[in-house]
Amino acid sequence: MNALLEVRNVSRFFGGVKANVDVTFSVEPGIVLGLIGPNGAGKTTLFNCITGFYPPSRGDIFFDGQRINGFSPDKVCKLGMARTWQKVRPLAKLTVLENAVVGALCRTNSVAEAKEIAFEQLRVVRLDKRAGVLAGGLPIGERKKLELARVMATRPRMILLDEVMGGLNARESEEIIELILEVRQRGLTQVVIEHDMKAIVRTCTRIVVLNSGEKLAEGSPQEIVNDPRVMTAYLGDAGGAKA
Amino acid sequence: MKTLVACIVVALALAVVPLFIESPYALHIFILLFIAVALGESWNVLGGFAGQYSVGHSAWYGIGAYGAFILLQQKQIAPWFGVWVAVALSVIAALAVGWITFRLRGPYFVLASIAVAEIIRLLSLNTKDLTNGAEGILAADLPPLKFGNTVITDWISKTPYFYMGLAMALFCIAVNFFVKRSKLGYYLQAIREDQDAAHSLGIPPTFSKNAALAISAACTALVGSFAAFYIGFIEPNQVFGIDVSIQMVLIAIIGGIGTVAGPVLGAVILVLISEGLRTTVAQAHLLVYGVLVIVVILVMPEGFLGFISQRLRRKAATR
Amino acid sequence: MAVLLQSILSGMLIGGVYALIGIGLTLIFGVMRVINFAQGELVMVGMYCTFWVFVLFGIDPFLSVVITMPALFILGALLQRTLINRVLDALPQNQILLTIGIGLVLSNVAMLVFTSDYRILSTSYSSSSVGILGIHLSTPLLYCFLITVVITAVLYWFLVKTDIGHAIRATAQDRDAAQLMGVNVRHMGILAFGLGAALAGAAGALVAPTYYIYPQVGGAFTLKAFVVVVLGGMGSIIGATLGGILIGVAESVSGTYIGSGWKDLCVYVIFLLVLLLKPSGLLGKSRL
Repeated sequence: MNALLEVRNVSRFFGGVKANVDVTFSVEPGIVLGLIGPNGAGKTTLFNCITGFYPPSRGDIFFDGQRINGFSPDKVCKLGMARTWQKVRPLAKLTVLENAVVGALCRTNSVAEAKEIAFEQLRVVRLDKRAGVLAGGLPIGERKKLELARVMATRPRMILLDEVMGGLNARESEEIIELILEVRQRGLTQVVIEHDMKAIVRTCTRIVVLNSGEKLAEGSPQEIVNDPRVMTAYLGDAGGAKA
Repeated sequence: MKTLVACIVVALALAVVPLFIESPYALHIFILLFIAVALGESWNVLGGFAGQYSVGHSAWYGIGAYGAFILLQQKQIAPWFGVWVAVALSVIAALAVGWITFRLRGPYFVLASIAVAEIIRLLSLNTKDLTNGAEGILAADLPPLKFGNTVITDWISKTPYFYMGLAMALFCIAVNFFVKRSKLGYYLQAIREDQDAAHSLGIPPTFSKNAALAISAACTALVGSFAAFYIGFIEPNQVFGIDVSIQMVLIAIIGGIGTVAGPVLGAVILVLISEGLRTTVAQAHLLVYGVLVIVVILVMPEGFLGFISQRLRRKAATR
Repeated sequence: MAVLLQSILSGMLIGGVYALIGIGLTLIFGVMRVINFAQGELVMVGMYCTFWVFVLFGIDPFLSVVITMPALFILGALLQRTLINRVLDALPQNQILLTIGIGLVLSNVAMLVFTSDYRILSTSYSSSSVGILGIHLSTPLLYCFLITVVITAVLYWFLVKTDIGHAIRATAQDRDAAQLMGVNVRHMGILAFGLGAALAGAAGALVAPTYYIYPQVGGAFTLKAFVVVVLGGMGSIIGATLGGILIGVAESVSGTYIGSGWKDLCVYVIFLLVLLLKPSGLLGKSRL
């Protein structure tokens, strides 16, 4: 099966800092790929490269067979890849509905049609009752859900979720996990950066581990969880405790 | 729907004003008001929706003014044709400037916009062959506006200017209204809130900002031409000066930035103050403007419109 | 050749004043990230201060700097405490609008109180010049430059050698870290704005003998100060010093060779070019 996203030998340097070094992996359509690693491993940098905020210093990125190095972020979104942000970025002075409409307008020129698409996505994440609330006034859990609805409204073929569970309590995280599983069932491909190992194991088909910019390991959740190298990367040599 | 009806009623009421009020001074105040409304609404498209605070909009105002004037003086082209050429010129200039300055963000964009307007002002002061430099240009008599063989107006009294001004103000309000509801409007507001997030949602920031600038500059140039013909005399410091730019910003900020009705309120407030203080000390209104903008920024950043609607909302909530 | 040298040297002399105004601006930006659009109006206040001290008490402008600077310091500190402090977390565009408002108030109060009549401060040496190696330099400008050098040297010493100076620089580099280290960043803000105003006041005092004094004179100084600061790098005092000299020279040389109507144009074009090609300026930011 042809990969939807292919990352080949991608490196990204910022002056002397090697944020990503020679990272390679593929994402087939329909799977959920987990991208994990300690803080500073280069996960968000990789997302930024893939979605066009800066080009890779070396290597290539292919989406659906097309080389997308250097494509601008709006072009990447139009091609079908949308991302969320580690630090949520609501459009604060717009309402919840208007936030989602902005996403939906990626695929249509009609504001009326965009509103319908937006409302549908808000219903999926259960924010439809809050449609008229200003996004800046939402608590963190709802902001994360709004961001999810917003990227879903762009009708993507693949979404990249950057620590979408960061800062959420157990109930809120559970809601997000269920949404990821539901979205996976609809056939949408996902790449998920997360620190919550339980969530990763439940949602991901496969996991790629980054450490200090390099790919450390790749495999099924079971393989990764039992891989001593991964343990060492997260916990140092004091290892042992299960994440 | 209610607001639309209210607006139509107000517009119709204004339309019949000249039938009842003949005092040229009163008509003059209305015309100043229409100019202020139109300027505030024009600036609002770029500053309010897109969040790009240009303090150099006098550039487009002046190009509109000089364009139409020069075409009348030197080529005998009637203003109602010449103004469209002037508008086109200002849009071209604006797009060139936008291409240069939109890569700058926040305060740097503000500074660049000021520099551009100053450069254009200094250029027009120094190119005496074209613009007559600091001596300015006195308007030639306007040709009579004809429909077929009937003369509609000779442009002698203030009444035709009243109606032109009203039409222009309504036009700019309408532009604001429709842009805000359109795809471009949503995109601009997204850019204003968070340009990078907007970018990742499929929004092209440069194209969108340039579209806003083109619309904003075109409307501003239209007003500039009209105001120039109404006043009858233009010179570089008057039309390209930074005070014009600042006043455009104040109209929108004091009234309520980013809303359609805000600049209308701002225009009313500022024109009333400036006329009210005219008889006391000249230029005292600028002092009041300064105090107003300080108060607005500190106490009601959403402008008077925001302040009033907040009060109304609180009253409704406590019932 | 002599004409060029003359032009360059005159430019350097006035450039020192631009540097003073720019240093004030960059200090305020460095410590509080606020772009002070009223800096030129503070210069104007300094000019009027100097004028009235001269007219009423007969004190030479270059001596009354010691009066003007503290007076403007107090004004600046007051402005910061009452107004600027409240917008430190607001959008930069709103901060600019606030300072524009302050500038409007300052210049229009001056107009109401002093009328818009041009004032001229003439001293005995106003039109004399000093000849050095065949080049004639205006005496007031020369004094102006010398005092500027002294003020700048004292400022450098203050920032580099004293504890408070270190505290200011720490706040400029990283406000939160400085606060965690026990620096009272609110006081640093007041101090920075006060100093910035004092420097503007000094500049006003120093140019009072050479410029017409009127309420609207501030605007041009503000814009020039921005060019200086952007050229040197927002937040860099050394940059502002260099930038001031460079702009003074550019203005003087273009005035001599292209025409006095075009010298301002040259300065703004330089401004645009810097904003576009190297917006971080010659020396970049976050270094006082």
